[in-house]
Amino acid sequence: MNARIALCFTALLLAAPAFAEQPRGLLRLPEFPALAEKASESVVVTLDSNLLGIASRFLDASDPEQASAKKLVSSLTGIYVRSYTFDTDFAYPKADVESVRRQLSAPGWSRMVEAHSKKENTDVDVFMLVDNGKAMGLAIIASEPREFTIVNIVGSIDLEQLHEIEGKFGVPELEIESAPKKEEKKSVKKN
Amino acid sequence: MNDLEERLRRAPRPEDAEERLRRALRPVDAPEGFTERLMSALQAREPRAVVAVVPTAARPTPRRFWMPAAMAASLLAAVLLGQYNAQLRDEARVARENAAGLAASRELMQALRVTSQKLDIAYQAVTKPPVTGAEENRS
Repeated sequence: MNARIALCFTALLLAAPAFAEQPRGLLRLPEFPALAEKASESVVVTLDSNLLGIASRFLDASDPEQASAKKLVSSLTGIYVRSYTFDTDFAYPKADVESVRRQLSAPGWSRMVEAHSKKENTDVDVFMLVDNGKAMGLAIIASEPREFTIVNIVGSIDLEQLHEIEGKFGVPELEIESAPKKEEKKSVKKN
Repeated sequence: MNDLEERLRRAPRPEDAEERLRRALRPVDAPEGFTERLMSALQAREPRAVVAVVPTAARPTPRRFWMPAAMAASLLAAVLLGQYNAQLRDEARVARENAAGLAASRELMQALRVTSQKLDIAYQAVTKPPVTGAEENRS
């Protein structure tokens, strides 16, 4: 009996670093093999902190767009994008999407925007992980008849910088203040 | 003319000279005890030969000079070749890093564009006035 307890304790100790290493806000995105197989165009971007650092060094500071991006990513630890475009309307496998949505129901994550257009058959959900009044993660799930996209941005997202690059990448004015509170989030949400 | 013939007749003929020489040089047996006497006389008179080994000056051989030179040249060539290879490897590594960095930066910009497009869609859906018939459902 004691041996079992010791074994469980050891297993927990060994597993602890694995849990500790995963930064907050990082989602486990599936590979979406079915989507990748049928997509006419796919964008799969996996940039962890190391690659972000390298990418940031190669951004041209003289280009306003890249300079803003450089500033924005300085506090990020990861950017992950899975985007698939199809030639025809395609029914996405719901299970994969649901596995991502389940992760977004964890404490800390809150839905900022939930937009659904019946006319265009488009759904866009924007989630944000807020920790001590600071945005630590952003997730976007956008599904259109011929396009499916999941974005996960990990790290200390400086909302002021996000505000600064407004319009440069087509980022809309989200009316986000630098230290979002619950009331401020309500101002983004429209019920 | 007669005088010339007379002289030729009196001149010794080669055949005669040869015959006389052969007779003079005919093999004659050595007298009794000649060999022993000769050997004893030679042993008594003959001084012993002294063989002296005279050391000759060491001649500088080309081998002693070229061996270290060849080794030094080989070492130098190896060092230079190593440096050249290291430089090539460094250049290749820098080129790889540059290529990876450029690719990563392109991916980053693409990711940000995709993100902004999707945020745009959300923004438009949120800010657009509701269409009649409650076509848009925004929350």
